[in-house]
Amino acid sequence: MPDRRVAVTGLGVISSAGVGIEPFWQSLVAGEPTVGAIGLFDARCYPSTVAGEVRDFSARKFVPKDYRKAVKVMARDIELAVGVADQAFRDAGIVTRGMEGEMAVNPKRLGCNIGAGLINCELDELAIAAESSMKDGQFDIKAWGRDGINNLTPLWLLKYLPNMLSCHVTIIHGCEGPSNCITCGDASSHLSVGESASYVTDDIVDVVIAGGAESKVNPLGLLRQVLMNRLSGGADSRACKPFDAGHDGTVLGEGGGTLILENMEHAVDRGARIYAEVIGFGAACDPAGIDVTSPNVGNMHLAIANAMNDAGISPADVDLIVAHGTGVASEDDMEAQAWADALGNRAGQAPAFAVTGGVGSLFAGAGGVELAAAAMALHTQTVPATCNFTGPAAGCTLDLAGQSRQCDMAAAISCAFTVGGQSAAVVLKRVES
Amino acid sequence: MSKRRVVITGMGTVNPLGHEVESTWSALLAGESGIGPIDIFDASTFPTTFAAQVKGFDLADHIADADRHADAGRHVTFCLAAARQAWDQSGIGDWAELDPARVGIYLGCGEGKLDFEKLSNLVCQAMVDGKVDTTRWLEMARKTMEVHEEVEQESNMVAAHVAAEFGVCGPAFNVLTACAASTQAIGEATRQVRHGQVDAVITGGAHSMINASGLTGFNRLTALSTRNDEIATSSRPFDLTRDGFVLGEGSSVLIIEDYEQATRRGATILAEIIGYGASADAYRITDQDPEGDGAATAMRAALADAGLSPEQIDYVSAHGTSTKQNDQVETLAVKAAFGEFAHKVPISSVKSMLGHLIAAAGATELITCILALRDQILPPTAHYKVPDPDCDLDYIPNEPRKADVEYVMSNSMGFGGQNNTLIITHCR
Repeated sequence: MPDRRVAVTGLGVISSAGVGIEPFWQSLVAGEPTVGAIGLFDARCYPSTVAGEVRDFSARKFVPKDYRKAVKVMARDIELAVGVADQAFRDAGIVTRGMEGEMAVNPKRLGCNIGAGLINCELDELAIAAESSMKDGQFDIKAWGRDGINNLTPLWLLKYLPNMLSCHVTIIHGCEGPSNCITCGDASSHLSVGESASYVTDDIVDVVIAGGAESKVNPLGLLRQVLMNRLSGGADSRACKPFDAGHDGTVLGEGGGTLILENMEHAVDRGARIYAEVIGFGAACDPAGIDVTSPNVGNMHLAIANAMNDAGISPADVDLIVAHGTGVASEDDMEAQAWADALGNRAGQAPAFAVTGGVGSLFAGAGGVELAAAAMALHTQTVPATCNFTGPAAGCTLDLAGQSRQCDMAAAISCAFTVGGQSAAVVLKRVES
Repeated sequence: MSKRRVVITGMGTVNPLGHEVESTWSALLAGESGIGPIDIFDASTFPTTFAAQVKGFDLADHIADADRHADAGRHVTFCLAAARQAWDQSGIGDWAELDPARVGIYLGCGEGKLDFEKLSNLVCQAMVDGKVDTTRWLEMARKTMEVHEEVEQESNMVAAHVAAEFGVCGPAFNVLTACAASTQAIGEATRQVRHGQVDAVITGGAHSMINASGLTGFNRLTALSTRNDEIATSSRPFDLTRDGFVLGEGSSVLIIEDYEQATRRGATILAEIIGYGASADAYRITDQDPEGDGAATAMRAALADAGLSPEQIDYVSAHGTSTKQNDQVETLAVKAAFGEFAHKVPISSVKSMLGHLIAAAGATELITCILALRDQILPPTAHYKVPDPDCDLDYIPNEPRKADVEYVMSNSMGFGGQNNTLIITHCR
C-alpha cells in the first residue's frame, strides 16, 4: 500500500500583523514590519521596548458562546492558541463541533498537536494574592499556606499548564484523536508538524491541527531574554534585522501559527483548497545546547539533511529556504553557516526569507507562522520580503531580499532551532490546482 | 514497508522509593510507602503537608561530571541519573558502531522550579496602588534573577542536559501533556523507531512539583489528599475513602531500540513495546469524560496497534491516582474497553506507594510493568481497605500476586483530557 500523502489545507495565524493568514502574508509581501512600542505593560525601563504585539485581542471572539466563561482561565498563550486554531479550521473550510452546522470530520480521527512554551505567571494576579502574606516586608510562606493561597482562583494552575493550549482546542473543536503538546522552544511547531504528519501517513487520523503559540510579551518573559542578551537595542519597528549587516538582536513577538494537515484523499474528496504537501521532516539536537549563554542552532544542518532525506530530495531540488533568522547576530551567523553546510552552493542560490523582522520572535509559535508563510509562498509562487534586510551580514550567503519576488518553486524547506539546542525542519511541496 | 520492532534494552529510575530499579521493585512488592512530610520547603501550613519526596539523592553518586549540571533543576538531576542507569544497562554506549545522530531523545519532562517565594517577594515589594510597578519590579528582579536559573525553567532544558551527558544529536523532543507526558513520550518515540527516523531513543520523563507553586496549584484545585494525620497511607487508589492524589517526584528513563540493532549488538532485551494508543477526552479542562470514553479509546487503539484482544491482557497498570473522579472514570473506561473481561483482568496502581510523579508517572509505571513480566509477579494496590461500589474490579489489594504474565497494559491520563496507553510483552 502506498504511503498516504499529507495535504496542508488550512492556515491559521495570529501575529502583530493581525488575526488571520491574510494580514500576516500581506505585511510580509510588503516588507512592512508590524513591530511597535510595547503596550501590554510598562516596558520603558527595559533595554528593549518594542515587540510584535497582537493588539485588542481576546479569545472570546473565537469560542462558542457557552465556552466564553472558560476564557477567564486562559493565560494569554492559551487565548492565542484558541484564536489560531479557530482561524485554521475556518480557513480549511472544516466545520468542527464549535461551529454552526454539522461536524465534518470523524472526531476520533481528528488530532490536535499544539506546541507551547513556559507560560509565565501574571505578576499583578500573584501580587494581589500574596500581599496579605507579607510580614515585615518579606513574603511569609506560613501565612501563604494558611490563608494567602485562598486569594487565588481555584483554577489558577490550569491557566499555566502548557498542555492547556491543546486541551482547550480539543474541547472547543471536538478533537478526540491523539493530542500532544510539544515544549521545545522555537523548534516546537516544526516538531509538531512532523509528528502530526506521521499521524496522517500512519492512518491514525484524517485531519490534524499542528503548530504552536506563545507569548513572552510580559515582564518575566522580556526579562529572561534580557538576561540572555538576545534582544536588539533598537527602539523602532525595524529593530530586528535577520541576517542583515546591522543585526543586533531579536525582538519579542507573540501569537502563533497552525496548519491543518489532512490525508490528501480526504482533502481532494471534499474539494479542499490545498496550499502544499508535507513531504519531509527531520530533527536534531546539539549536546552543546546545555550552555544557554552561547549561541546554538541545534545542529540544524543535520535536521535539514534528515528532512531532505525523508523527502527524497537533494539540495538541487530546494527552491525556497525559509530561515529562522532570529536577528541575534551570533545565531544568524551560525544559522547561515548551517544552511551552507546542509545545502552547499545551493544555500546561496535558492531564494530565502525570514519572518522575524516583521513580527518578532514567536518562540513555540514561530515555526507555525514560518510554515504558514512557506505554504503561502509555494501556493502563490511568491517569495516574501525579509523585513529590514538591506545587505547581508559578513559570511551570510543566503539569497535574501528586502522586497518580495516572484519565482517558480516546487519544494521549500523550513528549519527552526531553539535555545537549549534542538532543531527541526519540514519540507513542503507545491500542489498545483 | 513492514514496521520495525521496538524493544527496551535499558531502564533507570529515581523515585520516592529508590534511586535505582531493583530497590524500588523490592519496596513496591513489600508494599512500602514513599510518602512523608514535605521538608524541601516549609509546607507546614498548607492544606496538604506531605508528599512523596525523593530522599537523600546526590547526582554525583550517579554520573561522573555532576558539576557540569550545577545549574540544573531537581527534575533534571533525577533524569540524568535515571538516564545514566538505562544507558549503562543497555550497553549502547560501548557499541563501536554507535552513530550519535541516530540516537534521539524523547522526554515528557516538566517545567523547572519557579522560585515562588522570591517572585512573590519581588511582586509585593514592587506594588504601587494595587498594581505591580514594572520599573520597580525590574530594578529588583535584575539584581536577584540569574540567567541559568531562569532559562532552566523551560521544560526543553532537560533534553539539553541529557544530550550533553550522552553526546547524542538525533531528534530531540519534550512533551508536557501533564500526567500522561512520559507515556506519550515513550509511545511517540516507539513510532519514530518503527518508522526508521532513529535507531534508538532515550525516552521517559522527569518532574518535581513539590514546591510552593505546585502545592498551591493542586491544593487550590482540591486535587490532593489532605490526610495530614495518616500520611503514609494517604494514597489509596480505588478505595472508598480515597480523598485525592499525593504529589510525588522523580524520573524514569528507558533506552528503546530497533529490534534488529539490539540483536545485532547482542543487547539484553528487557521487553518489546507492541502497542500504543492516544486520544483526547475533548470534554472539560476540569473534569474527565464521566463515561471514560476518551481513556477507553486510547486502550482500544493500543490493543488494535498490538493486534491483541482484551482477553489477552494479563495485567493493567492503572493511572489510578487516588482521586474520587479518576479511579471511578478509569474503572468505567476499563469496562468499556475490556467488556466482560474487565472483571477478570488484574489491575493495580503503584501510585498507592510512589505517589503521583506527574509527568514522570507513566515511565515509572512502565518500568514496574517490565519487572512484572520479568518476575511473573504483579505489584499490589497498597492501602486498599474499603471497597467502593463504583470501583468493583480486581485491584490486587495490598499483596503482590504471582501470575502468568505475557501482555501488560499501562494507562496514563493527563489533566485536561489527554490519554495514552502502552502495551508491552516478552521479546521473542
